Amino acid sequence: MAPSQPQTSGAAELSALLARAATGDQAAFQQFYDRTAAKLFGIIVRILVERGDAEDVLQEVYVTVWRKAAEFDAARASPVTWVATIARNRAIDRLRARGSRPAAPIDDAMDVRDDSPGADILLEAAGEAARVQTALAALEPRHADAIRSCYFEGLTYEALAVREGVPVGTLKSWVRRGLLRMRADLA
Amino acid sequence: MTGPDDLAGMTPDDALAMDFALGVLPRAEHRAAELRLRSDPVFRAAVEAWQLQLSPLDAKTPALAPPAAVWQQIVAEIAPVRPVVAPAPAKPGLWNSLALWRSLALAGTAAAAIAIAQVGSPPPAPGAPPQLLVAALADADGKPLLSAAYDPLRGAVVLTPATQRDDVGKSPELWVIEGDKPPRSLGVIDIRGPNAHAISSKRLAGLAPGSVLAISIEPLGGSPTGQPTGPVVATGKLTPV
Repeated sequence: MAPSQPQTSGAAELSALLARAATGDQAAFQQFYDRTAAKLFGIIVRILVERGDAEDVLQEVYVTVWRKAAEFDAARASPVTWVATIARNRAIDRLRARGSRPAAPIDDAMDVRDDSPGADILLEAAGEAARVQTALAALEPRHADAIRSCYFEGLTYEALAVREGVPVGTLKSWVRRGLLRMRADLA
Repeated sequence: MTGPDDLAGMTPDDALAMDFALGVLPRAEHRAAELRLRSDPVFRAAVEAWQLQLSPLDAKTPALAPPAAVWQQIVAEIAPVRPVVAPAPAKPGLWNSLALWRSLALAGTAAAAIAIAQVGSPPPAPGAPPQLLVAALADADGKPLLSAAYDPLRGAVVLTPATQRDDVGKSPELWVIEGDKPPRSLGVIDIRGPNAHAISSKRLAGLAPGSVLAISIEPLGGSPTGQPTGPVVATGKLTPV
């Protein structure tokens, strides 16, 4: 599958495809897959690293999306946010089942901050992404790094605390203070 | 409103919602929170608020094309699970596109995929329940074109399209190919919407494991020659389960 999602396709079209998939329209579902799978696979690989696991989870995610398509509510989330959330949850579940993540130092989590062509092709609100990045960048660096590591790698507080050599309570406090400050900034 | 540095002002539920959205919970807690989302709208709203705050971070994750096999596996898993709801009739869709027909024609009989499940393939013993045949016909890419179910009690084949189509000026025709014999017509079929087709038991008598089913696109009313004349869009071998 070529990652050829249109730049401005928008949430409305994807919502319409999901609505058709909810009635059993597999052609619509395939279009939805073609336009979102590369995005979700990127997210899943980021968390799981190992490709075979990531492919299994991607399959699991789209089977779930097919079965739950009727539950999608465009008033509550964009279609991409909805499926990305499902993908993150399934990937994290797989990661926990596996027990460990292939070693990936914190610097790798930083690498994904780099822009690459097509990185935010599916994002309806590029401005929102920029606001969140700005709010994250405004945090104390170690708070921001802890948040990124948790979010991008799916690590538990305990695992990240061990890796960073800080008490778990300290790490938890960095993350929570950081996220609350971001929320206040974005409000 | 909770101040950014006032962690004491965070309720345990808000902390849990944050942790879940961030993805830091151990497996049991993560699953328990996932279950709670279904029954607790207040908790779910808190989680969704955090997810909305965090999800823009995904914009920076590069897209990565998955291997094509993943889609094939998804199709294999979803196809038998949920029956197709009748699509709106006569709306030109993907099915009607020239490109699709062309690609299907190019794919030819060998590449087109069909899966046939036959329950109880030998002739039934007297008094035994009649055989039920079901089939999922997919194109070369594994995308289902239609599903078919043969109900011997009704003497009917029920065809349910998996995608919209509009055959103005054309008739799809169903064929069975047994061994080296030429294709034998099972009749013109209507696959614009779910439809029951009465097919005589004499015609269906040849259906056995190893027989090949095919669908071709013929002039209106069916093949003028008694043999397929148009592009064959799907073929496959009947196999017992």
